[in-house]
Amino acid sequence: MAKHVITMLPGEGTGPEICEAVRAVIDHTGVDITWEYEDIGLDCLKEHGTLLPEKTIKSIAKNKIAIKGPTTTPIGTGHKSANVTLRKMFDLYANVRPAKLIPVLKRPWDKIDILSFRENTEDSYAAIEHMVSDEVAQCLKVITWPGSVRIAEFAFKWAKANGRKKIQCVHKANIMKMTDGLFLEAFREVAKKYPEMESGDIIVDNCSMQLVRNPGQFDCLVLPNLYGDILSDLCAGLVGGLGFAPGANIGDNCAIFEAVHGSAPKYAGMKKVNPSAVLLSGVMMLKWLGETKAAERIEKGVDKVLAEGKHLTYDAGGTASTDEYAQAIIRAMDTL
Amino acid sequence: MSTTTATSGRARRPKKPITLVGVDVYVITEDGIPKFDEYGPFKIEFISNRGTKVWPGYVSPDLMLVNWYRCRFNATRPVTDKDVDAFVGELGKKHQWSAVQKLWNYGDEAGFSKAY
Repeated sequence: MAKHVITMLPGEGTGPEICEAVRAVIDHTGVDITWEYEDIGLDCLKEHGTLLPEKTIKSIAKNKIAIKGPTTTPIGTGHKSANVTLRKMFDLYANVRPAKLIPVLKRPWDKIDILSFRENTEDSYAAIEHMVSDEVAQCLKVITWPGSVRIAEFAFKWAKANGRKKIQCVHKANIMKMTDGLFLEAFREVAKKYPEMESGDIIVDNCSMQLVRNPGQFDCLVLPNLYGDILSDLCAGLVGGLGFAPGANIGDNCAIFEAVHGSAPKYAGMKKVNPSAVLLSGVMMLKWLGETKAAERIEKGVDKVLAEGKHLTYDAGGTASTDEYAQAIIRAMDTL
Repeated sequence: MSTTTATSGRARRPKKPITLVGVDVYVITEDGIPKFDEYGPFKIEFISNRGTKVWPGYVSPDLMLVNWYRCRFNATRPVTDKDVDAFVGELGKKHQWSAVQKLWNYGDEAGFSKAY
């Protein structure tokens, strides 16, 4: 039996071709993995009548770890998000999103290395919405004490374990005194247990402005769900876009690693999209599994290919296909 | 002389027929997922906690529950506000609740979300 059994969720659109490229790179590390392929997303809806079949749920519940390609969430009406369903079902309460400057992508800043810890299960994502009259819609923003404490504890632990120095709670507690006030109070309570870490808070609108003006000042951010969703994408944009933005959704007993970009259906089958976001999510997954050397080998391979600039995908200014980019990373890994 | 009100110039949404089809009751309990009896014309459809469905169906044993549950009751026949009053009165004898939200359909569209 393989050392690791991982549920692979290729998703739809460009997801399957991205995931094949990612699998080729991860397999090249030699880490002993059995991949269990399962369906998820809109294609799956057509075939099985659901975005998230029971078989997929069982595989994740058994393996407690999965890597996921992009899926599409219908806007306004239609089906629920498969991503949100998974996060809620497996209580993956911590969304971890690193945003680190990639040298080859020319950006106007010298340093960006931000870790976002987004609470992943509460806030206005509790899906409690009502038309309370025919012209008034209401969405409940649910913030709980235990939910706020555990994301703060997760963030402090992760930050400390990874040599981070500073952690800030992002909120709007000056206006939403109950909900964001509770989130901030929980953060401050947890912060008392980590006197060695510099901790503080910042109002979300000011944080947005500061991120754009001077992102190098930020280290770790802890955010409620909605602010985390928006600002972690902003951070991804600062370093080069969603094509390079990995993510992890982590609970106490299960973790799902995924890119945060969409499925880009117009490019499906063209093998031109950048697989870096899913690949770097795979790097996070390998580290989570304790396969640190393999993870670092891939990271170095990616860095080398990006630095050489000969095999870049279109979004990074090159013409390489998804597979050519992945193969270049594999060759680079062999030279390390 | 004509009179005006503060709202006379506001945008108006086209009206649709409104039908009462159920209620969401927010129940507070420290005893885990609540269980309900039959309450006249209202039948329990699902219970969620922090927006995640916890009944019926699969619930991760790791799921963190708080002491506040959204309980969705569907009407099994045409109902009125009087039915809701009686229902809430009966339910309140056994359960502590923090709020009740009526569920309306607007035309053919549900004016309420489902749980994840």
